Amino acid sequence: MAQFVQSTRGFGMLWKRDFMNLLTSPVMLLTNTLFPLLLILILGYLTRGQYGDTVTSYDYYGITLLVFHALNVSMTASNSFMERKLRASNMRVLYSPIRTSWVYLSKILATFVFTTLCMGMLAVLLVVLFGVYFGGKDAVYVFVALALFHLFSAAFGVWFCCLWKSEELANKILNVVNNVLALMGGLFFSWDSLGRTAETLSYFSPVKWVVDGLFRIVYDGSLWSFIPLVSGLLIGTALLLLGCKWTFRTEEMV
Amino acid sequence: MTPMLEMNHVSKLYGEHHALKDLSFQVHEGEILCFLGPNGAGKSTAIHILSTVLSYNEGRISFRGTRVEEQLSHYKRKLGIVPQDLAIYEDVTAEGNVTFFASLYGLRGDMLRERVAEALQFVGLYDRRGDKPRTFSGGMKRRLNMACAIAHRPEILIMDEPTVGIDPHSRNHILESIRELRDQGSTILYTTHYMEEVEEISTRILIIDQGEVIASGTKEELKELLGDEKWIEVELEDASELSEERLFRVDGVKQVEKHDNLLRIATVKGIENTDKLMAFFVNHGIKVKHFTSLAASLEAVFLQLTGRKLRD
Repeated sequence: MAQFVQSTRGFGMLWKRDFMNLLTSPVMLLTNTLFPLLLILILGYLTRGQYGDTVTSYDYYGITLLVFHALNVSMTASNSFMERKLRASNMRVLYSPIRTSWVYLSKILATFVFTTLCMGMLAVLLVVLFGVYFGGKDAVYVFVALALFHLFSAAFGVWFCCLWKSEELANKILNVVNNVLALMGGLFFSWDSLGRTAETLSYFSPVKWVVDGLFRIVYDGSLWSFIPLVSGLLIGTALLLLGCKWTFRTEEMV
Repeated sequence: MTPMLEMNHVSKLYGEHHALKDLSFQVHEGEILCFLGPNGAGKSTAIHILSTVLSYNEGRISFRGTRVEEQLSHYKRKLGIVPQDLAIYEDVTAEGNVTFFASLYGLRGDMLRERVAEALQFVGLYDRRGDKPRTFSGGMKRRLNMACAIAHRPEILIMDEPTVGIDPHSRNHILESIRELRDQGSTILYTTHYMEEVEEISTRILIIDQGEVIASGTKEELKELLGDEKWIEVELEDASELSEERLFRVDGVKQVEKHDNLLRIATVKGIENTDKLMAFFVNHGIKVKHFTSLAASLEAVFLQLTGRKLRD
């Protein structure tokens, strides 16, 4: 029991350190706050008037680009896990008597909390600055689903690092993968309008499921897609954690 | 007496390449065992294996007689590692760094604060405890790297080239600290490229090459291995015209190795032939840039055993 308590405290210390590393990194802060905000501002402004009176361009991009931000959390996670500057310090953590799995679990949790807080901040700004509509009383479902997508994405980024053994390579591949998933999910334009095949392909992108589910909650007030959506994200996260357990080897940090 | 740490017939393979080949050695309580070997000899591999971050293919590693894998958490608590790469957070204060790493070993509250202060004082950084390492010199960072490894008071400290590329002041400070740790009864496994450090601090030396132990013993025991030889190193301006065979005509010359413009000559210890060797080069019109006698030094032992200088 005492060993469990000590081990849990060790995890707490590690998590706090990883969270602080993210919080004090200007690049991570800008990537997770200013960059999505500017993107929403620019795309919303350029396409203003194209979405009718009920739904504004800011409403549309407010949600789709928060999903895009959530998708790119994978790169924040891989950065916090294996970035060159942090690699040696992570190595020293591995010398200590804490569980090996704490190392990647802590990165996933720290990334999840950090990026979810950033998303919360962004959402408040979007409501205040552009009056973005998140579903009124159903907004809580939107943010729970988005937060779980952050968790899924953080686990995806760390698993990718375990798989490719390097943050640089993982991020190069993730960059392509994320953009393809975002395009197929119709985040930037209506991918489905490209034809039947494109529409079928879009269902292979989890982004499509998340965006469709969120729009149904926001504009139809329909919660039927909420449970399958969050269940899918939780199961996906669990599978990715198993993937980390199977693929993470301390010698890859050497 | 049971050794504190023992590597027994350990082998490590990378594909077909043997990084360690049946490596066996013991570290005894209270000693400073210096681990020597040219680049690629397997020193770092051995250290990564001992620090449990690298697996091995065959053999056994024991800590106080019990297999490490059977007491992994206990073993890690007793171990302090000073890695070759700086393993510190550049944007966290010196005190914050030591506190964080020490807390992973279960230290809390007053004890944590005391040990952190003690470790920072020990490496001479207590006055800079509130500063971030990115404002430190290379030597100060190395000292902080050491403080992070000793705050939990490990029973055995593994140091992988802790003085690489630092100023003489920090280097002296680190060597002084190591001597102090030894006097306090700590056990240290130390790797370095600097032979003078080995001469200064070692109680026992282990020389490895190509993943195998090729010699071990105290400084004196290793120097005995030279037998009746002494080695002379001569750097010539241009050795292309030199016929090595003619050098054997000089009294006492037993062996000649030529690497570009560098000659390593083994001669019989009792024969004073330095003047004759110099005369040989002068008579053949070959300009000598440096002439060094490596007699009875560890460098000479190393050269004889591995055919290379330590920093080759």
